[in-house]
Amino acid sequence: MADTEATGDTPEPPGSSAVVTEETEPEPESESTPELEAGTAGLALVHHAPEHTHPSPAKYVGIAILLAVITALEVALYYITMPEALVVVLLLILATMKFALVAGFFMHLKFDSPMLRRVFITGLALAGVVYFVALTTLRVLI
Amino acid sequence: MQAALGHAPHTPAPGDHDYAVTGIDSRKLGMWGFLASECLFFGALISSHLLYRSRAPEGVHIPHDVYDIPYTSVSSFVLLMSSLTMVLALAAIQRNDHRRLRIWLLATAFLGTVFIGGQVYEFTVFTHEGLNLSSSVAASSFFVLTGFHGVHVSVGILWLLSLVGISLRGQLPAEKHLQVEIAGLYWHFVDIVWILIFTVVYLVPNTH
Repeated sequence: MADTEATGDTPEPPGSSAVVTEETEPEPESESTPELEAGTAGLALVHHAPEHTHPSPAKYVGIAILLAVITALEVALYYITMPEALVVVLLLILATMKFALVAGFFMHLKFDSPMLRRVFITGLALAGVVYFVALTTLRVLI
Repeated sequence: MQAALGHAPHTPAPGDHDYAVTGIDSRKLGMWGFLASECLFFGALISSHLLYRSRAPEGVHIPHDVYDIPYTSVSSFVLLMSSLTMVLALAAIQRNDHRRLRIWLLATAFLGTVFIGGQVYEFTVFTHEGLNLSSSVAASSFFVLTGFHGVHVSVGILWLLSLVGISLRGQLPAEKHLQVEIAGLYWHFVDIVWILIFTVVYLVPNTH
């Protein structure tokens, strides 16, 4: 413990997934030169992006209960007599909510790097647009 | 150059080679890229089923005629809950709790196996009703879509069981939690795809 304090190393807290590799030695103030700026920029790139804290297990259970309730609502909608268009819209809204809850909380998309979000949403949006256009053209949707 | 920088060179920590210039572990970035491509893959299968789901020769059932919604709802619920056990497995390894990691991984694999068992039973019932891969375009598109999803779940189960084996051999320390996280991403995605299949294929009324 004393060694840890002496070296300034702090153990990673349990549950944390932080992977930041900051230099522990204080950096001396020095003159800023183009070479220095380029060098520090390069170093900054190899520093790992900080990850945010993930939700607690209790929160995961809460999300799962919410998902179960939404699923029950979906099944109930299947049996309730109402205009078909309304049923389809409500079902799609509920499915989108479930999708967002799993991706956002269980897959940590809400907490991780925005780049991961962009990568996934690009594929998702591309698929959505391509198949929406295809199914609309073939008169399946509208 | 180093003198000009005024501080010690960056010495990569173990595992640093896995980090791209983006600052994100390349394995994790790669998995998200793969999942993005899977959106297109399953999108094509879902779309083709929507296109063909009513096309069958006269007198031959279409899948919608023989769906057992209460049964499939329970099956969907089981897969949904497997996402909870999967994320609890990740939380366990991040707490360095290896016993719970293995329990939750096994629970996830078990729930996945229950889902696959349910799907096999459903396929058997459908076959007895006269539906098979070649009975109609509607049945064919249904079996291809749900079958490919089932294959994904099966691959996930094998992946989870292999993680349990690696953990039992003591080769899955808390620092390697990313291995569990990446398996989890795959598993949750398979769950997400089923969320869409369950809604679009099973629950949305078929009036065409």
